Amino acid sequence: MTSARPAAPPAELQLLLIGIGGQGIQLIGKTLAQAATNTGKHAMLAADYGGEMRGGPSNASVVIGTEPLRSLPILPSATAAIVASHKFAGPVPQRLREGGLLLRNSSVVDSGAGREHHRVVEVPATAMATELGAPQASGFILLGAFNRLTGLVPEAELVTAMTALLPPYRAQHATKNAEALSAGAAAVAGQEAPR
Amino acid sequence: MNTAVAKPSMQLLEGATAIAESAILAGCRFFAGYPISPFTPLLEHMSRALPENGGVCINAESEIEGANMALGAGATGAMAATGSCGQGLALMQETIAEAALNETPMVVFNLARNQQDYFQATRGGGWGDYRTIALAPKDIPEAVEHTQLLFHLSRRYRAPTLLYGDPLLAQTRVGVHLRRIEFDELPPQDWALDGTGGGTGESRQIWTWAMGKATNPGLGPDGHWQQVAAKFDRIAELEQRSEQRYAEDADTLVVSFGSAAKFIEHVVEELRAEGHRIGWFRPISLWPFPGPALAGATAGIKRVLVFELNAGQMLEDVRQYARDRDAIRFIGGVSIHESGLSYGPLLDAPEIRARILAAIAEDSTRSTS
Repeated sequence: MTSARPAAPPAELQLLLIGIGGQGIQLIGKTLAQAATNTGKHAMLAADYGGEMRGGPSNASVVIGTEPLRSLPILPSATAAIVASHKFAGPVPQRLREGGLLLRNSSVVDSGAGREHHRVVEVPATAMATELGAPQASGFILLGAFNRLTGLVPEAELVTAMTALLPPYRAQHATKNAEALSAGAAAVAGQEAPR
Repeated sequence: MNTAVAKPSMQLLEGATAIAESAILAGCRFFAGYPISPFTPLLEHMSRALPENGGVCINAESEIEGANMALGAGATGAMAATGSCGQGLALMQETIAEAALNETPMVVFNLARNQQDYFQATRGGGWGDYRTIALAPKDIPEAVEHTQLLFHLSRRYRAPTLLYGDPLLAQTRVGVHLRRIEFDELPPQDWALDGTGGGTGESRQIWTWAMGKATNPGLGPDGHWQQVAAKFDRIAELEQRSEQRYAEDADTLVVSFGSAAKFIEHVVEELRAEGHRIGWFRPISLWPFPGPALAGATAGIKRVLVFELNAGQMLEDVRQYARDRDAIRFIGGVSIHESGLSYGPLLDAPEIRARILAAIAEDSTRSTS
C-alpha cells in the first residue's frame, strides 16, 4: 500500500466511515453528504456494505469540497475517519493520511494502532446514545462530534438533512437523533482543529 | 477550503436516479425493465418519475418482455428505453438486433456489475449485420450527458444505443446539475407507426425483412440489409469518441474505459508528479471503437498497458489499432466482489499503481538483460 504516504494535502475532505450494519453508518453518511449539498458544497457518497442487515461490514466514504470533486469513489487515502466499530476497522490505519482526524467510538473500539500518526479523538458514542435513551443513535453522536471538530456545516443543517432522509416509519426517531447530534458536538467542545 | 459555493441547483443524487432524470429530460416517455442489481434503482425511479412526466413505466415479467415493450414503444415514435445489468442484457440480444435491423430507436441501459460485458456491448449476441453505439462514461456527470446523447443518436440514426455503466455509476451519490442538452435538429419522424396512416392505403410498416406490402413492396432483405450495413459504416466513421492525456511525451500509455479510466487518470497524475513519462487513452465510444485516435496516440509509445476489469476484452480492439502490437501488455484481470454484484479488489488506485510500476520495471529488466 503506497498511497497513504505524505503528499500535498487535498482540498477535499475525504472521510471514511467504518462500522457494522445497524449502527446507522449509511444514514449518517447520507446526512452529511446531503447537508453539505444543501449548503452549496460539492459532495460524493459511496457506500460499501454487504447483504446482511445487521452485524456485517457497513462502510461508506464521503467527499466534500467547494469545487467539482476529483476524488475517486473508492478512496485510496482519506483525510479523516470515523470508526464506529472495531470489527471491520482494518483498512483505516493504512488509508488514513498522516495527521488525519480519527474519531473513535471508544465504547466499542479500543485505542489501538494509529495513535502516533493520527489526530485521535475518542467519544463513547454507544454509551452516550444508550444514556440518551436512543441506542440506535450512536452514529449521530459521532457525526455531531465530527461536524463540531471540522466545522463542516451548521449543526442545524445536519438536523434538516437527517429529518428529510428518515423514511416515514422511522420519523419518530428524528428528535432523539437531533439530540444525539448535539450531545456529540458538546462532547468534543474545545477540541476543534484551529481554523 | 475557500468560500466559493456551487450553484444552489445542484442536487445530491444516486447515479441511477441521475441517469433516469436525465433520460426524462431527453424526452424519454416509455421505460420497461425487470429488476436486478445494480440496475433496480433506475427502474424504481422511472416507475415514480415517468408517470409524473406524462410517461409510462412498466415492470415487465422478464427482461425479454421489457426489451420488446421498449421496441414496440420506439416503433410508435415514443422515446423508449429498457435496461438491466449484463446478465439481463444477455436475454435482450435478439431484441437489440431486431431493433437495429428494422431501424427502431431505443436506448438500452446496462448498469452492469463489472466490465465483463465489453464483448456483449461491442459485438452483441443477436443475428445479422448490426452494431450498437455503446458509450462508457467514466463518472456520473458524464453518464448524465451520455444518457441524453444516446437518445439523440438513437433518433438520428434510427438505431438502438447502449450506455455501459457499473455499480459505481449506479450507486454512488454525487452532486449533479441536471439540465436538458440541446442537440442538432433531428430528421422528420416520418417512419413512426403513429396510427395516422390507417385506412388511407398509406399505412407504414416496420419489418426487419422490409418486404413491404403487395400494394407497396419494400426493398426486401437484400436491399434493406445492405442499406442498414452502409448506415453502420457511416456511424463507425462519424461517431468515434475518445479522450487522451500526455500521449505526446509518454513512454507508457495506459488504455482503459468506463469507471476504471477514472482510476487510471488518478494514478497517471500521481506518477507524472513523480517524474514518470506516462499518459492515458480512453475510448468513450466502445463501438465505434476510436481506432484511428488510438493509432495516433500510440505512435512512438514504448509500452501500451491495457487495464480493464475482465479477462482481456477491449484488449482485442487495442491489438487491432495500436501502432506496435508487441508493445501491448495486459495489466487488468477478472476481479469480482464476493457478493458477485460489484468489482473486486483490483479496482483500487494502489493496486493499479503497483501493476503499472511492475509492467514498467519488467520492461526495463528485459531491455537491459
